[in-house]
Amino acid sequence: MSGAAFEQLRALVVEDNVHMRTLLRSLLVALGIREVLEAGSGEEAFAILRARLPDLVLTDLSMKPMDGIEFTRTVRLSDDSPNPYVPILMVTGHTERHRVEAARDAGVTEFLAKPITVQNLFLRVEEIVERPRPYVRCSGYFGPDRRRRDDEAYRGPWRRQDDFEKRLEIR
Amino acid sequence: MSRPSKPPPAQAESIPPGAYPVFSNAVAMRLLKAVRDPEVHARAARIMGDSTEELRGVVLGYIDRVEAAAQSGNFAGIYDQAHEIRGLAGNAGLTATARIANGLCRYLDALGRAKRDPEHSVVRLHLDAIARAAHAEDEATRLGDAVAGELEQLVDKKLAEINETQTT
Repeated sequence: MSGAAFEQLRALVVEDNVHMRTLLRSLLVALGIREVLEAGSGEEAFAILRARLPDLVLTDLSMKPMDGIEFTRTVRLSDDSPNPYVPILMVTGHTERHRVEAARDAGVTEFLAKPITVQNLFLRVEEIVERPRPYVRCSGYFGPDRRRRDDEAYRGPWRRQDDFEKRLEIR
Repeated sequence: MSRPSKPPPAQAESIPPGAYPVFSNAVAMRLLKAVRDPEVHARAARIMGDSTEELRGVVLGYIDRVEAAAQSGNFAGIYDQAHEIRGLAGNAGLTATARIANGLCRYLDALGRAKRDPEHSVVRLHLDAIARAAHAEDEATRLGDAVAGELEQLVDKKLAEINETQTT
């Protein structure tokens, strides 16, 4: 990414359900993204990612053999990953908290709950483009900052250099 | 726990946007313009609308598959097919069907995590309701939503029972 011109913008849709995949692809094309690549599993998606370097990835969670969580983890952590910072929007029908947390901890950038709506999809794209988040690298995690808000109620653990710096600013 | 008064050992590195590759200003402006353009929204809404009927047919196919999984007592298979239904039904205009399938998924997921067998009657109630709702002409406005609400209460009650037995 993405000194590329808008006309060269490239997205990847990873979804094992061909109908949902086609719908997502059509919505991205409606946005003006000319090149939308498609994959039916995490493995296929990672191969495409390496070969074609998409600027934005939309992925389902449940897929076989490699699901969206494992795919995200591979993108973020693998030595073979061509762009561990690529924005990953997870589009999922899963509402179970443990699955959502697992996806967040794998390093997804944004979530979009199914059923998808135009409004919600475009809001997530807007969020990714307008407010890119810092990435965090620590033991056991690499990905977008999981602390979305400056939460006054947060009681630690304090692991970051800027935790200390913010404290000094408050004083 | 209060904030530290002196720097912690560096355990986490924060990498700000720009220190890693982000969309160029030109690309960002074009994308933002597109996502805020009423004409683009209208075009996308038409695409969604055009896909509704096709997705409805797909959902009905998954209902056959979930029933086949139920006939063979394959709870993992029931979960997989119900998950597909909850993911597609909402975009097929079958909102009650999606709610009922979501409830079934929540139930099966929780039971699986608790390493307990699902109650057949709970599963059967959901499967029958999914099939009836998906085939109704106006499933959300007739009985579908009311049935979905009742089944959600049932699942909440069952999950509370599981939590109770796990904590005692």
